[in-house]
Amino acid sequence: MNAPAELDFASIPERIQTEVQRAIQRSIKGVEYFSTSGPRLGSTPKDVLHSRGTMSLYHYRPMSDEIYRVPVLIVMATTNRGYILDLVPGQSFIEFLLRRGYDVYMLDWSAPRPEEKSLRMEDYVLDFIPDCVRRVQQDSGEQDVSVIGYCFGGVLSLLYGSIHKDGPMKNLICFTTPIDFREMKLFSNFSDRRYFDVDRLVDSVGNVPPEMILSSFEMLRPASRTVSQIQLWENIWNDEFVKSYRMFDRWATDTLPLAGEYFRTITKDLMWDNKLFNDTMSVGGRSAKLEDIKVPILHAVAEHDHIVPYDAAKHLIAKIGSEDKEEVMLKGGHVSLVAGANAVKRLWPKLDSWLGKRST
Amino acid sequence: MADKINNPVAMWQKMVGDMEKGFNSFANQAMSSPEFSQAMNRAGGVAAGAQKQLGELMEKYLVTMNLPSREQVTGLAERLQLIEAQIGEMKAMLSQIAASSGIPQGSDGTPRPPRTKRPPSENGGQA
Repeated sequence: MNAPAELDFASIPERIQTEVQRAIQRSIKGVEYFSTSGPRLGSTPKDVLHSRGTMSLYHYRPMSDEIYRVPVLIVMATTNRGYILDLVPGQSFIEFLLRRGYDVYMLDWSAPRPEEKSLRMEDYVLDFIPDCVRRVQQDSGEQDVSVIGYCFGGVLSLLYGSIHKDGPMKNLICFTTPIDFREMKLFSNFSDRRYFDVDRLVDSVGNVPPEMILSSFEMLRPASRTVSQIQLWENIWNDEFVKSYRMFDRWATDTLPLAGEYFRTITKDLMWDNKLFNDTMSVGGRSAKLEDIKVPILHAVAEHDHIVPYDAAKHLIAKIGSEDKEEVMLKGGHVSLVAGANAVKRLWPKLDSWLGKRST
Repeated sequence: MADKINNPVAMWQKMVGDMEKGFNSFANQAMSSPEFSQAMNRAGGVAAGAQKQLGELMEKYLVTMNLPSREQVTGLAERLQLIEAQIGEMKAMLSQIAASSGIPQGSDGTPRPPRTKRPPSENGGQA
């Protein structure tokens, strides 16, 4: 019986040695893993400009001698913490923007308190975002503001932009932003109106618990958590792998609860009636149509996004009223697109070249 | 490719990767059915009801133990937030005063860089 031609017997002792060394390293590093905390995240120097309940507005301290005229306001998704965009030095979108000369602000969220269960969509779109925009204008001394929305932060930014047609938003950048909620197939099935009693849920729990939000994300890829733990054990000898694992795992499990009334509107208006896509959305009685957005817009989508599939995001650019509009599809997933090791080579430079010339 | 054939570690990793994809795909198919939605939401409804009852029970227990209620702790947190907000307003006012005196300053009190940056393409490629 002949061995396959490619089989390299000479390398077997070397491989065994490598595997034995790794096994020893696994035991040592495994103990280290449980006795140490992960890297410090979100450490780019910043000031809290304003804080009100679930909302916080940060201003990051500039890192270049000269900055663009137009400040940038990042609107974070309401389900997750903003430090995903500011992981560690060298892998921080915020740090990248600061070094490229942008004046960066972030609208970030903390867990809504039980008494904030009555926050509605209009509180987010007609109060929190406009309030932050005003404060950015006041702090920077500039009238124009560019807005970057990540995931559902993009949806909120679209609603804000479509209602505040006369400004002051100068540019809009959306990352992985869904508008056709029918195409979020599994979420759509989880919230099937025949079986999902959103009123009963909100009336009984108030704010939707983070465990429920996290479970619904994890159910999209039910085997992935177990497999990622296997991969962690295999690679626990590799410090870079462990650092990356800890950063993303901590962020992914640091999910926020959602204000009850706000969740009710998301379910009824977006998941059930798909109103944003159907041009029938209104917030606080004010019509929110995508065709009313006329400012330059860039939409970045991820090729392997399992949370916001391309079908849910692909109509955004077509429906926007702007003449200056562009969609860019890049390799990566929902999170790695904006924060992964390759974002520094893919999304960030693309965004810089697009936004720089529109920020003077 | 040849490396994967004669490297048991690479083969194991590929097998785990394939299993993950296969299981996720199978589970996604199963979760797309209306029956799954019905079963999941029935279980979820029961859990939500139980969670509410447990919360109410805990409130009563805290009162019995003479511990501060959630409302009292929340009240304190709100007062702290109000104080923080007032400090924020004062910082903003100080920045405005500094700005009106002609010095562009950030909220941390340090001077801001000038807003004169041009994109690299306009500077002949210089960042």
